[in-house]
Amino acid sequence: MRWLKAMLVIVLIFTFATAGLAQAKLKVGFIYVGPIGDYGWTHAHDQARKIAQSKLPIETLYVESVPEAQAEPFIEKLIQQGAKVVLTTSFGFMDGTLAMAKRYPNIIFGHASGFKRNPNMFTYMADFYQIYYLNGLMAGALSKSGKIAYVGAFPIPEVKRHLGAFALGVRAVNPRATVHVRWLFSWFDPAKAKEATEALIAEGADVFAFTEDSPTVVQVAGKKGLPSFGHYSPMQRFGPQTVVSGQLVHWETIYMDFLSKVLAGKYTADNLQNVDYWWLLAEKAVEVGGEFGTAINPAFTSKLQAVRVRTADLGQLSVYDLVMRRHAQMSRKPVAFDPFTGPIRDRKGRMVVPAGKTMSILELNTMEWAAPGIVGPWPKEP
Amino acid sequence: MMEEWIIHTIVRGLALGTPLIWAALGEVYAERSGVVNLGVEGMMVLGAIAAFALAQSTGLPYLGLLVAAGAGAAAAMLHAVLVISLRANQYVSGLALTMFGLGLSALLGRRWEGLPLLATLPEISLLTYGGLALAIVLWFVLYHTRWGILIRSAGEAPAAVDTMGVNVFLVRYLAVAFGGALAGVGGGLLSVAYRPSWTEGMTVGLGWIAIAIAIFASWDPLRAVAGAFFFGALFHLSFRLQTWISPEPLQMMPFAFTILVLALTTRRGRGAQGAPEALGLPYVRGER
Repeated sequence: MRWLKAMLVIVLIFTFATAGLAQAKLKVGFIYVGPIGDYGWTHAHDQARKIAQSKLPIETLYVESVPEAQAEPFIEKLIQQGAKVVLTTSFGFMDGTLAMAKRYPNIIFGHASGFKRNPNMFTYMADFYQIYYLNGLMAGALSKSGKIAYVGAFPIPEVKRHLGAFALGVRAVNPRATVHVRWLFSWFDPAKAKEATEALIAEGADVFAFTEDSPTVVQVAGKKGLPSFGHYSPMQRFGPQTVVSGQLVHWETIYMDFLSKVLAGKYTADNLQNVDYWWLLAEKAVEVGGEFGTAINPAFTSKLQAVRVRTADLGQLSVYDLVMRRHAQMSRKPVAFDPFTGPIRDRKGRMVVPAGKTMSILELNTMEWAAPGIVGPWPKEP
Repeated sequence: MMEEWIIHTIVRGLALGTPLIWAALGEVYAERSGVVNLGVEGMMVLGAIAAFALAQSTGLPYLGLLVAAGAGAAAAMLHAVLVISLRANQYVSGLALTMFGLGLSALLGRRWEGLPLLATLPEISLLTYGGLALAIVLWFVLYHTRWGILIRSAGEAPAAVDTMGVNVFLVRYLAVAFGGALAGVGGGLLSVAYRPSWTEGMTVGLGWIAIAIAIFASWDPLRAVAGAFFFGALFHLSFRLQTWISPEPLQMMPFAFTILVLALTTRRGRGAQGAPEALGLPYVRGER
């Protein structure tokens, strides 16, 4: 009888203890713009949420496919469910998030890819421009026709910045190559991505990069045996012999860093006015590769080693080594190399980054000019 | 140079046109029998996940398409029960079917996300020529057989069909189920031939294009085929022409042009006609 009593006490203690723990857990709510199965942007945020939840003493909630103009009622709902931190993950949520931040001064808000902040609202972004530059170096070396293709989602600063960095990389290796662009006006549309890729193939392009949330471009290029670069999710599996590299994201590095500082009491609802995570290679928020852990598909190693280039700072070396050196230079803090360092003229010949200058985060976020070598329509070109 | 352009555009028109023909032909038959089904997008996306899952697990893409036809027909039966037997509003039920299909396929599709399909069909396959042949057969059946008269009459004057002792409900059920099966095949073609892979919501509005083609082709199978290929070719050209024409207006070009051309040819053409008289109306025995 005595052991039964003891068991009962132990069980009771455990029950209360875990209930107590559960209460102490920080509740974090996520607002997603797309479905978590989009194999792109929202999928990546959701993977990061799962990792953060497994490694930190937090509990997470999420709402997927929230229309950009209707963030507020969904944020409200998360707060009612007990969320103390609300993270909204699309540019279009910016004003809605700010309005809610002002209405709930005790809740912590975070907004991805925007620029508006509040004492209780920080901003964060894991940006790819360095990765696109590295991809551009490889693309320039692999193109035989000198025509490289880029299928772009929307002609907005973010995509223009990535395209620009890509084109600068291409030209650093192959000064006469051109980057041909087609716009989809959609973040996710496999049919459009497919026909745009077919159009670029018909025009003689032989290496492919893109911004769109499906592996369509990789698949279409791969069917013709043409090299391509994956975007956002690991896409080497869609073209084991044709995907050279790509851009991969680790939102969890930002989420883990921020949330652990909230748990430690370092970040509160009063001191976020100037907190902006603009995280790149050095912070390990982004990764170069078509598959996690594989920067360059081994199938392309010898091809990239065979092409040699002359650089001002590193002398003569193979493109493979150049990619590795630039990668190392950008993985350091502070960085030893930035693709957007002057002098850079745009494709019209206008000086856009003077010699010795590097573009600021604000300039990168509002960039509208087209880098030299880009061919194709460029809405809002200055 | 010019030849390359023409050939390439025709090939692309056939490639994207193939899934569209199947879906559009299905809608032509459903609407000819008097039932509007706005659930084409939902039936297509269910067909897409069914075909992908089957093709991936068995390595047999044709079997995948067969199952896609079954999935599309099953989804269409939901609509049929609601609007034919229970006389629900056809437009509302169709919209609900689209949402249901998108949601259910997303749920079932989670584990197939981000996988390359191992056994694929070429974009222009037996199903392309099959679609063309089917259109001719369906046109013949519709205008030159007793079955065709029954289907058309169910859409024009269901009471008259009933008076002849033919079961209007049965005719409509069969037409809607047949339409769903074809929409399922159309969706399956997207995931095993056109793309080929699965992503949630991958039909991206092509179901609505199929409905528009069916309507603007004046519910004629042959015109619908022409419309589907025409749309496919223009859709491709809208990207090809971006070098010369600004991309914003080009976005609308395939939609606007297809509708314009179909509308014009339909007005001039012989045998052209308006919508089936009883389209969208539930049939109630003894009522007029």
